[in-house]
Amino acid sequence: MAGLATTFGSGAMTNSINEIENAQVMLVIGSNTSEAHPQVARRMFTAMDRGARLIVIDPRRTLLAQRADIHLAIRPGTDIPLLNAMMRIILDENLADDLFIEMRTENFYELRDMLFRLDLEEAARITGVELASIRAAARLYGRAQKAVICYCLGITQHVCGTGNVQSIANLAMMTGNVEKEDTGVDPLRGQNNVQGACDMGALPNVFPSYQQVDIDDFREKFERAWHVSLSPRPGLTLMEMTHGGKNGPLKAMFIMGENPVLSDPVMSRVEETLDNLEFLLVADIFLTETARRAHVVLPAASFAEKTGTFTNSERRVQMVRRVIPPLGQSRTDADIIMDLSARLGYVMDYESPAEIMEEIAMLAPIYGGMHHDRLENSWGLQWPCWDREHGGTPFLHKYYFTRGKGRFVPAAHEPPAELPDDDYPFLLITGRIYHQYHTGTMSRHSVLLSREAGEALLQLHPEDGRRLGVRGGEMVRMRSRRGEVRVKAQLTETVKAGEVYTTFHFSEMPVNLLTVSAKDHFSQCPEYKICAVHLEKV
Amino acid sequence: MHDILTTCVYCGCGCGVYLHEQRGRVVGATPSRNHPVSRNNLCVKGWHLHEFIHHPSRLKEPLMRKNGKLTPVSWDEALSFAAHELGRIAAASNGNAVGLLSSAKCTNEENYLLQKLARAVLHTNNVDHCARL
Amino acid sequence: MPDKYILKKDHLLPLLRKLKKTHRLIAPVRNRHGDTLFAGIDNLDEVRIDLENQPQNSLKQFFFPQQETLFTYSNPASDSYHFEPVVEESPPTLYFGVRSCDLSAVLYMDVVFLKNVKDPNYQRKRQNTILVGLNCNDPFANCFCNATRNGPFIDFGFDLQLTDLGDRFLVEYDRSRGQEIISDWRQFFAEADDQDVKAQYQAFLEARGKFRLQVHLDQAVKKLARDEVPESVWEELSMRCQDCGGCAYICPTCTCFSISDLQTTDHAGERIRSWDACTFSGFTRMAGGHNPVDRQMRGIEKRFRHKLQFDVKKDNRPSCVGCGRCVNICFGGTDIVRFINMTCCENI
Repeated sequence: MAGLATTFGSGAMTNSINEIENAQVMLVIGSNTSEAHPQVARRMFTAMDRGARLIVIDPRRTLLAQRADIHLAIRPGTDIPLLNAMMRIILDENLADDLFIEMRTENFYELRDMLFRLDLEEAARITGVELASIRAAARLYGRAQKAVICYCLGITQHVCGTGNVQSIANLAMMTGNVEKEDTGVDPLRGQNNVQGACDMGALPNVFPSYQQVDIDDFREKFERAWHVSLSPRPGLTLMEMTHGGKNGPLKAMFIMGENPVLSDPVMSRVEETLDNLEFLLVADIFLTETARRAHVVLPAASFAEKTGTFTNSERRVQMVRRVIPPLGQSRTDADIIMDLSARLGYVMDYESPAEIMEEIAMLAPIYGGMHHDRLENSWGLQWPCWDREHGGTPFLHKYYFTRGKGRFVPAAHEPPAELPDDDYPFLLITGRIYHQYHTGTMSRHSVLLSREAGEALLQLHPEDGRRLGVRGGEMVRMRSRRGEVRVKAQLTETVKAGEVYTTFHFSEMPVNLLTVSAKDHFSQCPEYKICAVHLEKV
Repeated sequence: MHDILTTCVYCGCGCGVYLHEQRGRVVGATPSRNHPVSRNNLCVKGWHLHEFIHHPSRLKEPLMRKNGKLTPVSWDEALSFAAHELGRIAAASNGNAVGLLSSAKCTNEENYLLQKLARAVLHTNNVDHCARL
Repeated sequence: MPDKYILKKDHLLPLLRKLKKTHRLIAPVRNRHGDTLFAGIDNLDEVRIDLENQPQNSLKQFFFPQQETLFTYSNPASDSYHFEPVVEESPPTLYFGVRSCDLSAVLYMDVVFLKNVKDPNYQRKRQNTILVGLNCNDPFANCFCNATRNGPFIDFGFDLQLTDLGDRFLVEYDRSRGQEIISDWRQFFAEADDQDVKAQYQAFLEARGKFRLQVHLDQAVKKLARDEVPESVWEELSMRCQDCGGCAYICPTCTCFSISDLQTTDHAGERIRSWDACTFSGFTRMAGGHNPVDRQMRGIEKRFRHKLQFDVKKDNRPSCVGCGRCVNICFGGTDIVRFINMTCCENI
C-alpha cells in the first residue's frame, strides 16, 4: 500500500464495493476476485450484465479471466512493462485526460518522458502478450468514462510491488479515472481486518491513523494521552522480526492471532528464529504451527465471543458482536492485553470495547467520529469520518487527492528475484483458493469447507504433466533452492505450460518452505508470487 | 434461539451476517438482506462461518512449557510468567529485543491495545502484522 | 360454525398475547438493523412484527435447522459403543404471518420428511405447530407464486389464514386447531358478512395483477419434460455459478443435507446433520476423487431439473414455490428466473 500512499496520499480503496456495479470498464490485475473477494466479483458480474466490459490481467486463466472480454495472460512479474505499454498507447492515441492531469496532478512530464523512450515491441515481448491485445485493452480502458481498477496481492507480492502499484495509479490518473464516484483504484485487502490493523497503527512506523512515530508533534500527542515517553525510532517489520534466525535482533515475542510459521516466506527460517527466542508468547484460538513452538500459549476467544469493530476493504468500520461467552477458560485478546499490561505495571482500565474506541476516536483523526453507539445503529461508517456529525466517506479524493495533487511516479521493469533456469525449470505462483482462508486456522476446522477443498493441489498444465509422466491425482516432488514438498497434481489449462500454482493454506504441504525471502524495498512485501522450482514424479 | 448480527471474518469484503445462537452454541449463519455488502447472500465460507467456532480442538485453557511439553496451567501462572519474561527482556534491551505481532483477524480495539502495549508499556515500535501476506 | 370471521386489526396484538401464553410465538420481526426475519418473540411489546416486508428467511430453519446434532456416541471401552439420541424439546409453537409460498414449502417438506420414512427430528418439531397464514395483497418485487400456482392467496394447509382488508382481517380456518382457536377466543372474532367476502375476493383479484416478474414456469417445465433445454443454457449458467450454495440455503424447499461425525474427545463424539447444496462439487465427488458431474458445464443442472422436472414427474407439481428469495442474490446471476427466461426465450 506504500505505492498508493505516495501517489494519492492514502493507501486504501478509493471506492465503495457497490460502486463497482456502475463502472463501464473494469480492469482486474493480480486478483482472483471471484475466489478471494466474492462480493466484489458479484458486483463485477452485475456490471457485466448491465453492459460493462472486463479486462483481466493474470498469468492464469482463472474463472474470472474466462468471463473477461480481454484476458492478458502475462508472464508473472512483468506488470510494469505491460502497464507502461498501455500508458504509451493511451498517450499515442490521445486518450489521456489532459485537463485532469493539469488540474489535479504533478510530475506528469517525468512519466511522459519515460513513456516516450519506451519500445512497445520490446515491452510486449517481455510480457509475453501480443501487442494487439495490449492495444485493445488500453483503448477500452482509455475510452471509458467510468473505469475501476481492482488489484490485490498479485500486484504487491513482488520485489517491484511498489512500482506495480505506482504504475496502476499512473494509469488511472493519466486517464482521469479517479476522484469520481464509480471510478477509481481499489486495492482489495486480503484479510478481514487488515485495513483496521493498519489504521490502528499495528505497524512499526506509525501510530493509529498513520501518524508517523518519528514526527515530534504526533509523538508528543500520544505521549500526553498515554502518560509515557515514546521512542521516535521506527521499529522492525514483520519480516525483520520473523527472519532474524539464530542471531536475530529479538529475544522475546508476543504473537496475537497470527501464524507466521505457515504464512511467512522461507518457513525453515521462521522456525529457526522462533526456536531461538528466549521467550515466545502466543495467543490464539487453536494450537497453530506457531503456538506449538511457544513457551506460553493463551486461549483466545473467537470473533463470535467478543464485541468490537472490523474495518473492511472499503474502509467501512462495522460492529462485531458477542453471540456467546468465551468458550472454556478462553478470554478475549483485549482482556489478555489489559491483564498483561497491569502485570507489567501499566494499568489499562477500559470497561468495554466502546471505551477503547472513544480513546481511538480522540487520537486517530480518520476515526474521529467512530463511536460504538453510531456504528451500532447503522451499517457502519467509512473513514475518514472526522467527528460525530460526519457521515463517513464512500469514495476518496473527491475534489482533491489526500496529499493535495496526485503525483506521477514512473516505474521501470525490475525482473523477479528468481526466475526458472535449467535446474529449476518451473515458475511457481502461490495464492489462495475459494474454500479456504489464509493458514486455514479457521476454515480447515469447518467440515463442509474441508470436504470441498481439503488438500493442497498443484495446478499443472497437461502438456507439462505428459512430459513429466504425471497424471491428475498423482504425487509430485517439488523442490526449490530452499526446500522440498510433496503435493498432489491437478492437470488444468488454468496455468500456462512452464508455470505451476498452489496455495499456502495447508500445513501438510507448507509451500513457504520453497518461496524466496526477497521482498519489495519500500513496502517489505515478500515476493510470494514467483520462485523457481523443479518437479518430478514421486 | 437468537440471531445476532456480526461481521464475517473470512475476507476483506466484510459481509453482515447473522449468527444463530441456540443454548449457548452457534449453530448457523445467514446473510443480512439490507447490509450494503452482503445483500442477502454470502459466499460458501460465510455460510459455514459457524462451523469452526465450537470445534473440539479449540484451545480452552492456558498452556505453559514445562520439561519441554506444553502443560495446562492457571491463567495467573501463565500471565505472571509471561509478564515477567516480557518485562525482563524489554527492560534489559530498552525495548529493542521484544517484538509484537498483531492480527488482521482481531478487532480494531484489540489492535489498538496491542500497539499501545508495545509502545507505551514495552517501549518498542517493534509491532507489525501480516498486512502484506 | 360459520367459516369466515372478522378480526379487527386493533385486536391482533391482544389475541397474540393470549395465544402466546400456551405457545412459543414465531413471527416476522423487523429488527433494529432494518432486516426482517422470522424470529421467536419473547416480549410482544419490545418487538415490531413486520407484515410489510418479506422475511428474509423461510420456516425451513425451524423444522430443518442448518446444523443439528442427531446423537452423541461414546466408546468408554474399546469393544463397546454407546449411542444417545439428542432429543430437543419442542414446545407447542405458533407461526404467525406465514405467506402462501412459505406455507406451501412446509407442506412440501412434510412430504420429504414424513411421507415414507418419518424423520423423528423433523416430526418432533413439526407436531404441535399452528400455522397462521397471511394472504399476499401486495406481492414483493421478486415474487412469482402466480407462476408456481401456490399464491398469492392459498386456501388450504393453514390452521388459520388472514386476509388484510384495511382496518380488519378476514379470518378463515382449514384445520381443527384453527377452529379451536376461534371458539376458544370467540370474543375476538365476529362473523364475516357478504361485504367482507366480496372485499376479500376483490383483494385477490388486485393482488393477482400486481406481480412485477413475468415467469413462464409452465413452459420451462414442458421444455424440461421434452428434454428441449439447449446445452448452451446449462453451460452458460454453470459458468456463471460461483459455488456459494446460497440459492439452496435460502430456498424454502431445498432439503439436501449431509452427515458428519465430530469427535469431541478421544472416546466420544457427535453425529451432525447440516444443510448441503447439490451445486457443491463435494456433493457428487466419489471417494477416488472422480466427479461424475462436470461442474463447469453442468454444475447447476441438478438443481433446476429437481425442482421443475423430477418433482413434477413424481408429484405433479414443481417444488419451486415462487418466493423469489434466490432472485438477485446470486453472485453470478444464476437464479431460477434467469434459467426459466433463458429456456423459454430460446425460440423467440
